[in-house]
Amino acid sequence: MIVVTRKLTKAYGAVMALDSCSLGVQTGEVFGLLGPNGAGKTTLIRLLLGFLRPTAGDASVAGLDCRRQSVQVRKQVSYLPAEAALFPHMRATDVLRFFCEVRPGGRFQRYLDCAQRLELAELNRRVSYMSTGMKQKLALAAALAADVPLYILDEPTSNLDPNVRATVLAMVADLKRAGRTVMFSSHVLPEVEEACDRVVILRAGQLVHTQVVAELRSQHRILAELQGPMPPVPAGVRDGTQVVCQGSRVTIETAGELSPLLGWLATLPLADIRIEPVGLRAVYDRFHVGQASGLPLTDQPHEPAVSHEIAEAAP
Amino acid sequence: MNRAVLQKCIVEARLLFAACAIGLFAFCWVRIYIISRVDLETFSQIVEKLWDKWADYWPVSLSQLLSYSGRIAVTFDEPIVVLCVSVFAIARGSDVVSGELNRGTMELLLAQPVSRWQVLLSQALVTVAGIVLLSLTAWLGTLAGIMTNTVQEEVPRPELRIPGIGLSIPLSLKKPEKIRVPMGSKVEPQNFIPGAVNLGALGICLAGISSLASAFDRYRWRTIGLVVGFYVVETILKIAGVAISEAAWLKKLSLFSAYEPQKFIATAVHDAANTWSLVLRDSQGTMLDVGPLGYNLILLGIGLGCYAAAAVVFQKRDLPAPL
Repeated sequence: MIVVTRKLTKAYGAVMALDSCSLGVQTGEVFGLLGPNGAGKTTLIRLLLGFLRPTAGDASVAGLDCRRQSVQVRKQVSYLPAEAALFPHMRATDVLRFFCEVRPGGRFQRYLDCAQRLELAELNRRVSYMSTGMKQKLALAAALAADVPLYILDEPTSNLDPNVRATVLAMVADLKRAGRTVMFSSHVLPEVEEACDRVVILRAGQLVHTQVVAELRSQHRILAELQGPMPPVPAGVRDGTQVVCQGSRVTIETAGELSPLLGWLATLPLADIRIEPVGLRAVYDRFHVGQASGLPLTDQPHEPAVSHEIAEAAP
Repeated sequence: MNRAVLQKCIVEARLLFAACAIGLFAFCWVRIYIISRVDLETFSQIVEKLWDKWADYWPVSLSQLLSYSGRIAVTFDEPIVVLCVSVFAIARGSDVVSGELNRGTMELLLAQPVSRWQVLLSQALVTVAGIVLLSLTAWLGTLAGIMTNTVQEEVPRPELRIPGIGLSIPLSLKKPEKIRVPMGSKVEPQNFIPGAVNLGALGICLAGISSLASAFDRYRWRTIGLVVGFYVVETILKIAGVAISEAAWLKKLSLFSAYEPQKFIATAVHDAANTWSLVLRDSQGTMLDVGPLGYNLILLGIGLGCYAAAAVVFQKRDLPAPL
């Protein structure tokens, strides 16, 4: 494990920004951090970098304590903050040179290559005269060109056009192929799904779910219109199956193969049936849909979600 | 020490430094040019009329003030000179922590393998070096003024002195001839070094105080506001301490009481042995006052103490997320 946190907690008075977060990131994996604003993603990253002192618990990167050995930790890490603010008086080339020289053993050509790959033109322009997208590309080039074991990218594709977004994801894939570890925080779920091997979902400072992305590919979701009462799930397919009824709409999710369910599905009073891969969106929604609108969230996030309507429908 | 961080600090400070240095050099030179143009006799007449009311506010004697060295020494008390060094010190000092936080650049800076101590030390070194160079510039401006300007003086008329009775008989009835002589023949440039050193010590003191305020804060405008407020209060304390005899103790609360360049220049001119004394003593060895070096060490001690406190505060605090 290159990153380990044990009951890592950060409180601001009564507000728990991060609450007993324990996780581990494997060397060489692309690890996603998901959650709405204020869920604790950035707090977790800032604790890893030693910007914040934990209220409780501890964290380590490459076996180094994030608080006491912060400088050594940052030798192992390249960090791209969300909305990175660069030194406004510097020209782009000066920024790249600064980030190259501030790290022992940095190669400037690598930084220039990264900038070129990200289509960053006009390296002579001052940061204060750059557009938001250009600044983001420059910050990305500075972060991705560093030769380190761990990259922490906080919303790396924000403010970028679709082509450059694809380039960034390709660069992340290259890093993975080179055996580097990437921690990736984003609100763009398809990107996370594409780039990450594993994701954790944070909610109100708590780690509420860990998802291996490859497992999602075998999961499906059936959306349909109910034409009559919903019968109980047969014992043979109950494992790994979740049924959620909302009015006349029913959503059936399967954790494994779809074929065992097909016979049962044919017996159900359903119309307008649509079958789609579950995807990260559905997993994310289990924990966060309704949070903004005040609707109730799943109480037991690690258990399969079953709606109250189904509980009433079951015998 | 990280070279890239140090270089970044130099780049950030260089424009302000250049502006302050040009301003200081030019002002010091121009002021001596003006001194060289205003006749000493005329100046004496003006000052002597006001001296009864001014004496309490002036740190040197009338005779010193009416000398060329005294008039030049006033340069170091001119608001523009003090302001140039203060602006540089407060601007650079306030940038140490709250400036970087305010701009959001601290996040990326400290994401690199540099310690907070290195960041603060780099800023402090550049600021202190800048202040030392500004003080040197003020002295160089003074030196340039002394070397390039001339003063007018009367050539004594030829006289016949009659020995024994002390009588002098003028040999010419013409008006005394006025000639211009180099300012350098009237004053010694090295006597103004204590004034420049005192200016530098004040700058380092202000930079330290600004850095400490910056280490606590996250908004640079608030840091500058706090330090400027403190500056004004300290100035008022000194003025009140001087103006109100019952409240003379107020002077001790003002760090500007340790900023007395005219007094230290006068010491260099009239009491060279005590130019760099820690304390001034009378012939019996009783302590009369803190010496020029003592005052400078007080200012430097406050400044460096504040820098040390800033390092501790910065080391221990959480870095707030960029605004």
